Amino acid sequence: MTTAVELPALEDTHAFGDRLSRLLRAGDLLVLTGPLGAGKTALVQGIGAGLAVQGDITSPTFVIARVHKPDPARGGSLPLVHADAYRLGAASDPRAEIDDLDLDASMDDAVTVVEWGEGIVEQLADAHLRVHIDRRDDDSRLVRLEPSGGDWAERLAALR
Amino acid sequence: MTDEPLVLGIETSCDETGIGIVRGHTLLADAIASSVDEHARFGGVVPEVASRAHLEAIVPTMQRALDDAGVSLADIDAIAVTAGPGLAGALLVGVAAAKGYALAAEKPIYGVNHLAAHVAVDTLEHGALPEPAIALLVSGGHSSLLLVDDLAHGVTPLGATIDDAAGEAFDKVARLLGLPFPGGPPIDRAAREGDPEAIAFPRGLTAPKDLAAHRFDFSFSGLKTAVARWVEARQRAGEALPVADVAASFQEAVCDVLTAKAIDACRAQGIGTLVIGGGVAANSRLRALAEQRAEKYGIQVRVPRPKLCTDNGAMVAALGSHLVAAGVAPSRLDLPADSAMPLTIVSV
Repeated sequence: MTTAVELPALEDTHAFGDRLSRLLRAGDLLVLTGPLGAGKTALVQGIGAGLAVQGDITSPTFVIARVHKPDPARGGSLPLVHADAYRLGAASDPRAEIDDLDLDASMDDAVTVVEWGEGIVEQLADAHLRVHIDRRDDDSRLVRLEPSGGDWAERLAALR
Repeated sequence: MTDEPLVLGIETSCDETGIGIVRGHTLLADAIASSVDEHARFGGVVPEVASRAHLEAIVPTMQRALDDAGVSLADIDAIAVTAGPGLAGALLVGVAAAKGYALAAEKPIYGVNHLAAHVAVDTLEHGALPEPAIALLVSGGHSSLLLVDDLAHGVTPLGATIDDAAGEAFDKVARLLGLPFPGGPPIDRAAREGDPEAIAFPRGLTAPKDLAAHRFDFSFSGLKTAVARWVEARQRAGEALPVADVAASFQEAVCDVLTAKAIDACRAQGIGTLVIGGGVAANSRLRALAEQRAEKYGIQVRVPRPKLCTDNGAMVAALGSHLVAAGVAPSRLDLPADSAMPLTIVSV
């Protein structure tokens, strides 16, 4: 059951990330897909704002993964692991490369969001939420949320 | 003989296994082994490939550096090593090697910041850095403007990218244009045949409303998206892609914003020296435009030669030499690698 959301402008992508963050809890895995420039990092910036994590959220393409600790002063309680498999996509065995990052070590305690991770990172958790962002010609975005396992479908109902 | 410190520097934060040796501000050796060729096959950095490649390269690279400099490990006064930021596994190889050499040869060790080393390397080309200076650091993972008032003890970040790094934008646009990785050099080459004004790509965070909150910050995500849209539109229409014009117009947009904000930072702080470092500093248009704009305000631009701009061991040795000369205490032998080391920390 796919949930679709229209986002007319960049600010809306950010605000939607903030809304989405309210559904999240420790152990969650979000797999972000969409073309170059769809707004994947912008969405994670919104999620990070909602989770009240520390540090600036920028593209993790170069460093592959970045851990943002929660900021208790702003009410944050969940760490955010922001990863990017863009550079791993063409590797002979990208899943082994993802394993080498040891992301699973922190997954139980954190929210893990992976850009460019489709087909690579799903095995890191029993359930995941696939978030696909499409960029349209008028620069608006269409987000499609596809629950996979767990209680994602029930939790998404709260977004509608 | 000279009483300037003889310092060995080890760099393994990303692709390059670099070992450099300097005496004071004089470069004696700059040995590099690169896993870029291996990464090129994968279209990017692969953490495990990088760590493994460093491990295999470090001992031969060390021997080459010592041979090139004509010194032995016993002659060295201090060992400096990149402690962060960078890929965790890759950093660990260099830090462990540095500890091993320091322990075996009984030398002091300095765990240093990779980004501060990109600033310090300029002393090998142009001598002591006048302080305060403004530094523009632009690479695959970073785009930052810094106020350097005391390089031995700390630098003050003025601004940074709020999304993609400049070098990352070069890599991603190169992929869109069917050019190889890393994207900087092929875009620079292609751009020479193109018209930088052919396509009006956006200049991120330069509108008055953005300048209020982000005067010294950068944004290259919107530019990347604009190039992607432009390229896709041509492809959909079945038209040939004018690669040179796209490369030139994209490169102009990046260099325009980088240099405009760097010069603005110099003028805002009343500073007459701008040093540019990091892999993107090797870009020919960035160098030319920075010099052209700085001249108007009497600002001196210092950019090391391209080989020193990209990651290397000499820059780590240069920063180590600066720390030794400034009387900074060495790091502890159990110093950690810190993949997210903040810019405010020059040595641990």
